[in-house]
Amino acid sequence: MPFQYLDELAEGFLTTLSLTLLSAVGALVIGTVLAAMRVSPVPVLRAVGTTYVQLVRNTPLPVLAVLFALGLPVLGPSFGFFTWAVLALAVYTGAFVCEALRSGINAVGVGQGEAARAIGLGFGQTMRLVVLPQAFRTVVPPLGNVLIALTKNTAVAATISVADITLRSNALITSSADPLGVIGASALAYLVITLPLGLAVDRLEGRVAVVR
Amino acid sequence: MRRTRTARLALLGLTTALALSACGSDDEGGSAAPAPEQTTFEAGTTMAAIQERGTIRIGVKYDQPLFGERQLSGDVEGLDVEMGKIIAAKLGLAEDDIEFVEAVSRNREPFLQQGQVDLVIATYTINDTRKEVVDFAGPYYITGQSLLVAADDDSIGGKEDLAGKTVCSVTGSTPLERIKTEAPQATVIEFDTYGRCAQAVLNDQADAVTTDEAILLGLLLGAEEDFKVVGEQFSEEPYGIGLKKGDQAFRDFLNDTIEASYEDGSYQEALEATVGQVQDELPEGPPVDRY
Amino acid sequence: MTQTRAPLVVLEGVVKRFGSHQVLTDVDLVVGAGEVVVVLGPSGSGKSTLIRTINRLETIDGGRIVVDGQPLPDEGRELARLRADIGMVFQSFNLFAHKSVLDNITLGPVKVRGASKAEARDRAMALLERVGLADKAGASPAQLSGGQQQRVAIARALAMQPKVMLFDEPTSALDPEFISEVLEVMKGLADDGMTMVVVTHEMGFARSAADRIVFLDQGRVLDDTVPGPFFDGTSSPRAREFLSKILAH
Repeated sequence: MPFQYLDELAEGFLTTLSLTLLSAVGALVIGTVLAAMRVSPVPVLRAVGTTYVQLVRNTPLPVLAVLFALGLPVLGPSFGFFTWAVLALAVYTGAFVCEALRSGINAVGVGQGEAARAIGLGFGQTMRLVVLPQAFRTVVPPLGNVLIALTKNTAVAATISVADITLRSNALITSSADPLGVIGASALAYLVITLPLGLAVDRLEGRVAVVR
Repeated sequence: MRRTRTARLALLGLTTALALSACGSDDEGGSAAPAPEQTTFEAGTTMAAIQERGTIRIGVKYDQPLFGERQLSGDVEGLDVEMGKIIAAKLGLAEDDIEFVEAVSRNREPFLQQGQVDLVIATYTINDTRKEVVDFAGPYYITGQSLLVAADDDSIGGKEDLAGKTVCSVTGSTPLERIKTEAPQATVIEFDTYGRCAQAVLNDQADAVTTDEAILLGLLLGAEEDFKVVGEQFSEEPYGIGLKKGDQAFRDFLNDTIEASYEDGSYQEALEATVGQVQDELPEGPPVDRY
Repeated sequence: MTQTRAPLVVLEGVVKRFGSHQVLTDVDLVVGAGEVVVVLGPSGSGKSTLIRTINRLETIDGGRIVVDGQPLPDEGRELARLRADIGMVFQSFNLFAHKSVLDNITLGPVKVRGASKAEARDRAMALLERVGLADKAGASPAQLSGGQQQRVAIARALAMQPKVMLFDEPTSALDPEFISEVLEVMKGLADDGMTMVVVTHEMGFARSAADRIVFLDQGRVLDDTVPGPFFDGTSSPRAREFLSKILAH
């Protein structure tokens, strides 16, 4: 009977929700900057962007999370585990946002960028005013997938002591000895976030679809 | 973590020694590989079924030094593993017929309920909640919850010093739940392995690791200059052998086997080869609880 | 020839390579203020590349380019400022697909020139009037015909009040019925004294609007002359061959 556990997961649900929102904002910022670097005319920036994406995208998230939460403190910085979780998720998801955006940018015709530069817009303005707004429209579906994946990926925070849905349900499993019921409840709790997100993405996609 | 390499090497060395002695003679002979016995069981019992099948599946920990730790060679070693071997031998199975699979704290009950394993021997504390869904033979070992702190930390002498401190334990474990009531003013954090908790102590992200002392001793192994175990044990953790609920005949067989191992010395050998690495005074086998 | 006019665009010994393929070889070209220069040549002769080097949409591998007395700077703020003074009209219009006709035209003045929204809007409406599309201000580019889009693109370039306008085959992507409306706008510009460099296949336009014809073949300038003699057969043999093919039908 999964429903009886939903109450006890409420606090974890809020934690998961804020993990999702904060790291989504971080990932969008990081991903946008990275994507701009990867399509920039400056070779060094392109190289940095590419290296970041390859390194981060090819590291398993659980490894990255522990590396952040228990590895980086060895080098000095000290944050709470929630902050480490947000950072790890944002850094990780940023690589995927970058790739989604980059494919969107590449889908915007070269002519758009040329026309922008021809009227005197700089690289940043060209990106911000002309290319990215169009890229964002084509990337709503892939970006939506990235964000839904992010929501589910927040479960990794449980491995670094952040009391999200997953960690709360782990505790409940122990105290209730009803693993299936609790896991069912936590699956429901995640759906409460991911389903509306999916619907929102679908609607947004319909709204912004560019007329060509 | 500096612990692991030397610890693993020591254990690897031990494996070799055991293997050699097992081949050699039957006096002294190390703990492992009790000779299979030829016993027949009443048809319809789990014992008969296992014997017929010719293999037994046992869930053990892969990450608990001294109890169940997977080596680089792929072998799993520790007291829990040795208990599994003793039971397998009683069923007439050779060591090769045992299939050890990894059991983590949270999947132990489902493993048994769904029949994915015949037994769970995985630092599995006997308690009433669990008895509602699975049955236990044993206990075969009793330990108690204790604290591991940084070697240079004199501010913690026991659980009464934990107010305002951060204590780490493993998600889903009994010690995690208990420390919340034993030291209500402590902040509790959790990871999925004790090794990570130990790292958190090294990083000053936590002040103590808490769990059954036997496990803390495993963490201490090879890292004596980093950590120490402090304070009185504040729980009694009877480690039992988990089996599917309601299989009375199998449970009786397991309890008989445990008692027999106390008498024929195979239990003491197993204990010495494992927990004996870090403890000089080894306990007697605890009386089994035929509830 | 019109050497008396002050030179606005000067190309000296310009060389451009794509990998091992040399697209432009030692191209010299001077465009005086108020002059209309039409660049002709067979496809693949380097015409588009040539015109794109003038606002550095293509970098060059040798020689130098001076616009209004200033050598073309490297990529950066300087270059952006210079580009703002050079209007460019593309073969495929390249209107910003996510912006209305009006916003296409006001973007540059507002973001580059720092004009106020109202100011930019008034000027954009005047330009739309001029290209005959005042009623399409709120439309999105996708709702316009090719000819209309190209006229908007011209208005967008003019909104920057450029010193020179570059046209890169502005009618090549148009259905035949829309060609004349674009050429008429261009003709009007030429008549108003706009400095223009035009790559085109429209011989009628070249003959009537050009001050000079530059004929390019395999990346080299073979003819640089006034239209009369060029079309009357005193040009290079390659140009005559080109003309005979073009005018055959």
